[in-house]
Amino acid sequence: MLAGLRVARETYSISSVDRQEVLRYLGYHGQALSGELDGRIDAVVASCLKIAKPRATIAAFPVQSVSPNEVILDGCTLRLTGHDIADHLKDATQVVLFAATLGMDVDRELRRLSLTDALEQVVFDSAATALVERAADAANAHIRAYAAGIGAFTSWRFSPGYGDLPLSIQGDFLRTIDATRQLGITLTPSNLMVPTKSVTAVVGIHPNPQPGLESSCSICSLAEFCTIRATGRTCRG
Amino acid sequence: MASQTACVATTTPFGHEACRRLRIKDEHLARVLEGHDYLLFDGAMGTQLQERGLAAGEIPELLCLTNPAEITQIHQAYVEAGSEVVTTNTFGANRTKLGDAASVEQIFKAAIDCARASGARYVAADIGPTGALLQPMGTLSFDDAYDLFAEQVRAATQAGADLFIIETMADLAEAKAALLAVKENSDLPAFVTMTFDEDGRTFLGTTPEVAAVTLSALGASVLGINCSLGPADVAPLISRMIAWSSCPVMAQANAGLPHVHEGKTYYSIGPKEYCTAVQTMLDAGVTVVGGCCGTSPAFIAGENLLLRGRLAQGRELHKHFTVTSAQQLCAISMGQVGVIGERINPTGKKRLKEALRSGNHDYVMGEAISQTSAGAQILDVNAGLPEIDERATLVRLTQELQGVTTLPLQIDSSDPLAIEAAVRAYPGKPIINSCNGKQEVLDAVLPIAKHYGCAIVGLTLDEEGIPQTAEGRLAIAKKIVAQAESIGIPRQDIVIDCLAMAASTDQRAPRAILDGIRLVKQELPGVRTVLGVSNISFGLPFRPLVNATFLAAAFSAGLDLAIVNPMNERLMDVVNSWRVLSGEDESAQEYVAAYATRKDGPPGNTAQAPTFDLSTNEGIAAALASMASSLQSISSTMTGGAAPVAGNATAEKPKDAGAADNSPEGQVRDLVLAGRKGPVPDAVRVILADADSSHDAMYVINQVLIPALDEVGARFEKGTFFLPQLMASAEAAKAGFGVLREESSGQDVPSKGKIALATVKGDIHDIGKNIVRMLLENYGYDVIDLGRDVDPQVFTDVVVDQHIELAGLSALMTTTVPAMAETIDLLHDQAPWCKVIVGGAVLNPEYAQMVGADYYAKDANESARIAGEVLG
Repeated sequence: MLAGLRVARETYSISSVDRQEVLRYLGYHGQALSGELDGRIDAVVASCLKIAKPRATIAAFPVQSVSPNEVILDGCTLRLTGHDIADHLKDATQVVLFAATLGMDVDRELRRLSLTDALEQVVFDSAATALVERAADAANAHIRAYAAGIGAFTSWRFSPGYGDLPLSIQGDFLRTIDATRQLGITLTPSNLMVPTKSVTAVVGIHPNPQPGLESSCSICSLAEFCTIRATGRTCRG
Repeated sequence: MASQTACVATTTPFGHEACRRLRIKDEHLARVLEGHDYLLFDGAMGTQLQERGLAAGEIPELLCLTNPAEITQIHQAYVEAGSEVVTTNTFGANRTKLGDAASVEQIFKAAIDCARASGARYVAADIGPTGALLQPMGTLSFDDAYDLFAEQVRAATQAGADLFIIETMADLAEAKAALLAVKENSDLPAFVTMTFDEDGRTFLGTTPEVAAVTLSALGASVLGINCSLGPADVAPLISRMIAWSSCPVMAQANAGLPHVHEGKTYYSIGPKEYCTAVQTMLDAGVTVVGGCCGTSPAFIAGENLLLRGRLAQGRELHKHFTVTSAQQLCAISMGQVGVIGERINPTGKKRLKEALRSGNHDYVMGEAISQTSAGAQILDVNAGLPEIDERATLVRLTQELQGVTTLPLQIDSSDPLAIEAAVRAYPGKPIINSCNGKQEVLDAVLPIAKHYGCAIVGLTLDEEGIPQTAEGRLAIAKKIVAQAESIGIPRQDIVIDCLAMAASTDQRAPRAILDGIRLVKQELPGVRTVLGVSNISFGLPFRPLVNATFLAAAFSAGLDLAIVNPMNERLMDVVNSWRVLSGEDESAQEYVAAYATRKDGPPGNTAQAPTFDLSTNEGIAAALASMASSLQSISSTMTGGAAPVAGNATAEKPKDAGAADNSPEGQVRDLVLAGRKGPVPDAVRVILADADSSHDAMYVINQVLIPALDEVGARFEKGTFFLPQLMASAEAAKAGFGVLREESSGQDVPSKGKIALATVKGDIHDIGKNIVRMLLENYGYDVIDLGRDVDPQVFTDVVVDQHIELAGLSALMTTTVPAMAETIDLLHDQAPWCKVIVGGAVLNPEYAQMVGADYYAKDANESARIAGEVLG
C-alpha cells in the first residue's frame, strides 16, 4: 500500500493546558499555594498559550523492512536504528514521522524572561513543555484518524533519544519531513532542536490494535483533537 | 527569451552602491537592476527532483555530481518555458550540510556547469540557509555563518555564476551574513528573498517592511519573498515590501500546499490560478518573478506570457527616515518627531559604569526595558569607558539588548572599530552615532555606514572645533552630507546634530543651535536633525525645565530626533504635546488617551537613577534584578566581611519566629515565606523607622532576611515548598535587600565572594542556572553569569581574570556533558584555585566526579549551601 499522508504544515488552536501537569513539571506535589503565586502561575500559563503557535508537519512512509535493529523506509533516506524502535515497529506497514513545535516566539519570550524574571521563566518553560506535548497529541490524533481511515491502528509515539533510537538521527529526520522549511526547526551541533519547545516522533501504522494504548476515549490524551469521534466511531472500531 | 525592449524612465532610478563596482553581465540585467526591465526566473528544483524519484532526506545537491544530465534537463525545461535565469541546484551546498560527501567547490562547479549547459541567459548561484540557527537564540555565531556563506560565494564566483540568489531566509541576521559574504567576496549582484508565514512574519519575527528596509540599505540588488505561501498570500506581503524597498522586488511563491494522493505529491494551485496572482503582483510593482515549491515549467510559461509586451513601470521610493531591529521598523516621515533613549551611556552614571565594569548587565537591561515602556523609539547604546574593552562590550550589549527590547539601536562610539564590530552582526539597520566634519573621521566612519547599511549621525564640529554660528554649523553639515552622498548614503539616512551647548556659559548658544537646525533643514532638504538636549541646561538649577523649554523650541525649529531620557515626564510631555501641535498625532488621539485624566502638578522627574516603570511586570522584575546585583555589597559592609550564610545563620533565629508574630520582623519574615514581594519594602522600612530600637540594615539582613531565606531553604529541602515558592520567596527577600541598598546610599564595598556561572558549550537550556543565580545573589554573592552555550576557554578566561574562587556549570543534555568536562579540565589547569560545582538534569554525584567537579548540587538550594562552605 502506498503511503498517503503528508501534511506540510498544520496549525493547532489549543486554548488550555493541564494545570496539574504544569505544576508537576515544577515539582509540585500538593504543597499549599498562596493566592498570589497561584495567580501568577495562571497568568504565565495564559501568556504561554497566547504566544505559542503550535504546529506540526507530518509525513508517512511505507515500511520496506524491519530487521532486529533497524527499520528501513521506502522513499526516504532515514534509517531508524536500534532494537527498541525495531521492536516497536515490528509489524508496522507504514511509519509516520512528525515534528511539532511552538515556534520561535516562545524561545524569545523565555530569553526575555531569563533576563527579567527567573520565576516566570521557570513557570513559562513548564507551561510550554506541557503545551508542546499537546501539540504532539494533536498531530498524533491526525495520524490516528488517518490510520482509522485505512482500517489500521497506531502505536504510541516514539521519539529520537528514547530507548536506543539515537538523537543523532535528528538531522536526517528533520530533513526527511522538511521541518526546517515548514516549521523553522533547526538543529544545534549537539542535536538540540531550536525552537527548543519542539518534538519529533515516530508513529507506527499497524494492521492490528497495539498494546499500551488507551482503551477508552475518556482517558485518551488525543480525545480533544480526535476527528474520528466526530463521525460517531472510535479508533478501536 | 529576448530582453524586454521597453524603455520607460523610472521616476526614481535605483542608485547602486558606489563602494562596490558590480559586475553586471549585460545591458538587460543592468536595466533589471534599475527597475526598467522585467526578469523571469525559473521554478522549483526540489519538486522536479522528487518527481524524478529523489528520496526524502537525500542531499539533492550531490546529484550535480552523480546525475548532471538530469539536472541540466530540469534547467533546460525551464529555459524552454521562458526562464531567463536558472537557479543552481545548490540550496544546501554548505560545508556542514555536505559533510564528507563532497566539497563546496566541487558542488558549485558541477552545479554551475549543469546550469550553464541548459543555455540559460543567466546562471544564479543559489544560497539557502545554513540549517543552524544563529546566536543568541541558536548556537551558530554570526562569523561562522558568514564563513560558511563566504566559502559558497567564492566557489560560485570562481565557477562563473552571473549573480547570486540568497533565498528562503527566515532569519534577518543570517540573510545579512549571506549578503555581506557576497559583497565582500564577489563583484556579482545579490538577489535576496525571505520567507514569510501566514501571519506576515518570518519564523523569527521579521516583517516584510523590516526586511525591505534592512536589506535595501545593506545593498541587495533585488529583494523579495519566496516559498512558504501560495501567490495569493504572498501578494499582500509583497506590496508591503515594495513600499519600503529601494531596489527592485521579486516574488517566487509556492504552488499552494502539497497533499498526497496514492503516494504522489500534488500541489493545490495550477499555473492559471498562479499567474492570476502573479499578475496582481506585477501590477503592484514586482519586476522579477519565478516560482518556488510545486511550480513547474508550465507555471514559468504562463508567467512568460504575462510579461510579454509588458512595460516595467517606475515607482516612487519612500523618503522616510528608517531604522530597524530584526522585529521592528521605526519610520519617521518629514514633520514627525522621534525619541532616542539616552540612558545607556556611562558618562556621569555611576551605576551604569559599575555594571559595565563588572560585566553584570542586569542594570543595563533594566534601563532598556524602562526606556522602551516610557516611549523611546530608538535606544542609544554607548560602552565608552576607558578601563573596559569597549568593542567587546558594545558587541555583547547590542546582542543582549535584543533579548529585552525590539527597539532599533543607535550604536554610539567614537571608535570606528567598535562601531564596525557592533553594526556588522546587528540584525537590522542601526544608526551610527557618530561621525563629524573632521576629514579623518569621515574617511573612517562613512564607509562603515555605507557598507553595513546604517543611518548616520553627523556632528557639526571639525578640526577647528564647534563653530559659534549657525552658518558655521551649516557649512560642516554640508560637507558631511556631500561626502556621505558621494559614497551612496541616501540623504534621508543622514542625521545632523547641531550640538547643544550650555546656555549658562554662552547665552547666544541656544539661538545659534536653533538657527543651525533651521538652516540645515532649509539648505539640505531631506536631511534629518538630531540633538542631545540636556547639555543646554548645564550649570543651571532645575535643569529639566530648561531642557523641556529648549526641546519645544528645537522641535519648532525643525528638530526630528531628540536624544533624551524618556523616563523624564516633563520631556515626554513636550514630545507628546508637540505631536498634537504639529499634526503628527492625528485628532490628538494619543494625547487624549494619555492625558485625559492628568491633573496639572509638578511632573515627576524620574531622571535620578534607578528608574523603573513599576506599573509593569517587566519594570518590577528589572528593578529587582538591578537591586540584586548590588545587594551583596550591603551585606558585606554591614557584617564586616563575616556575613552569615546558609547553614551558619540559623543560630540567629529571627525574633519571636512564631506563627502569630505581629512584630515588623515577623511580618517581613511571613512575607518572604509567603513569597509576596509587593509589601516587603514597606515592611522593611517600618523596621528601619523604629526610633526606639534603632535597627540598621545589618540587623534586617542578619536577623530577618537571611533567617527567613534559611527557613525557605529548609522547607524546600523537606518538600513543603516547591520550586516556584522557593523562587517567589527569593524575590521577596530581594525586594527587602533593595530597600536596604537605598538606605545605605550605595557605598562602595568589597564583595562577599564572586561566583561565575554558565551553561556549557552546546547547551542552550539555562533555566536551572538562572534559578541558582537568583538564589546565590540573594545570599549576597557577586554572581558573574556568562550565559548559555559558553565556550570553555571564554569561561576560564573570566575565572582567571577576576580570580574567581567558585564556578558553577550546568548541562541539561547528555550530549553536552563532554563540554562540561572540557571546561573543568581547563579550569583545573589554568585556575587551580577555583572550585567547581556542577548541576543539571543528566548529572548525579558519580557523574559529577567523573567530569572532575569538586561539588555536585542536586538543586539551587544545595548550590547556596556549597557556596557557604567554599566562600564562607
